[in-house]
Amino acid sequence: MANTVIGSSIIIDGEISGDEDLVVQGTVKGKILLKESLYVESSGVVEADIETQNVEVSGKVTGNINASDKVELKTDCRVIGDIKAPRILIADGASFKGNVDMDMKER
Amino acid sequence: MANPKDLSVSANGDNTVIGPSIVINGKLTGDEDLTVRGRLEGELALTKTLIVEPSGIVKANVSVKNAVISGAVVGNVDAEESIELTKEGRMVGDIRSPRVILVDGASFKGRIDMGEVSGERTASERGSRAPVRTVRSVPVAARPGANSRARSEGKPPSPPPPPESRSGAPLPPMVAAGSRRRVVVKKKAR
Amino acid sequence: MAQGEQTGIIGKGITIRGNLTGGGDLVIEGRVEGQISLKNHLTIERTGHVEAEIRAEELTINGEASGNIDASSMVSISSSAKVAGDIKAPRVVIEDGAVFNGTIQMDVKLPDDI
Repeated sequence: MANTVIGSSIIIDGEISGDEDLVVQGTVKGKILLKESLYVESSGVVEADIETQNVEVSGKVTGNINASDKVELKTDCRVIGDIKAPRILIADGASFKGNVDMDMKER
Repeated sequence: MANPKDLSVSANGDNTVIGPSIVINGKLTGDEDLTVRGRLEGELALTKTLIVEPSGIVKANVSVKNAVISGAVVGNVDAEESIELTKEGRMVGDIRSPRVILVDGASFKGRIDMGEVSGERTASERGSRAPVRTVRSVPVAARPGANSRARSEGKPPSPPPPPESRSGAPLPPMVAAGSRRRVVVKKKAR
Repeated sequence: MAQGEQTGIIGKGITIRGNLTGGGDLVIEGRVEGQISLKNHLTIERTGHVEAEIRAEELTINGEASGNIDASSMVSISSSAKVAGDIKAPRVVIEDGAVFNGTIQMDVKLPDDI
């Protein structure tokens, strides 16, 4: 699956950008800009604005999410921030506080 | 190194991989190994091993336990245990580490500070770090008596070398034998 | 000193102070202080102790050396070596176990976008 994995003991304070999938098991503060998918795993903590194609959150995200394809909030995740995406899935048990804007236009 | 598929499966996050198209600009700290195939700019502090693969670019000051560099590094690297530049490794910056390996083919420009000079190395000597830090800020000077002690590997202190020997190239800081990396600063009378 | 075939050896008990120049290979097992300028291969053996500015084609250090080194092809610092000084050479090898303190100037080709 993903080529880039940020392990659970890693803390990044800054900007991440790239053309591939990113799995976050650790902590990222700042900004995430991807052309592919972001996976925030259950141990992951992201305090950043996110701009990607897809986002799948099982951990914690504080920040605005802008996805060109889909955002999925899984059970037990905690998301605080605004979500803008054409497709949004919020699972039972997910915790979310913010605005939702289902952007119908292509990015 | 394990191939990418293994690493992404590891749920523990024992090993972090920064893929080839990823650019991280900022400060990274961690308690696990880190493999860089992409680009990392800023600051890096790990309690474990940094591996910069041939496609990796690190433009940062780095503080790690071990480092294996096969890519490009611009910045200073402080490795508590060892640093190795492999044959594809390129580095511009200063190295501070008790063990440094430059493989044939590696290219390096900068300072290397290994610290100790005396006798046989023991594991504990390799481990102790704190006093080595003082070596950096010390002016280029050495106590003649200390040098001859360091070199004669355990023999009783020999008389200081004659003054002419000092007229050649300036000697970088040397550590007195038996004093566990304490650096003696004493301006030589020329 | 003869060119090509002959290798000069400075034995263990010898100390030389001054300038050493030559066209052949040189092996130092003793002590040299001053300046060394060789057109070929200089080897400082385990028992060798050199405090000098060294200029050579190729340099192999198994013993102790302090002073600046300028080699036109390669400097090899083996695991038993203790070296201090500034090295300028296109190729430098430092073996595990060697002790080196100083600077190294090699030609480093970095990616354009670094």
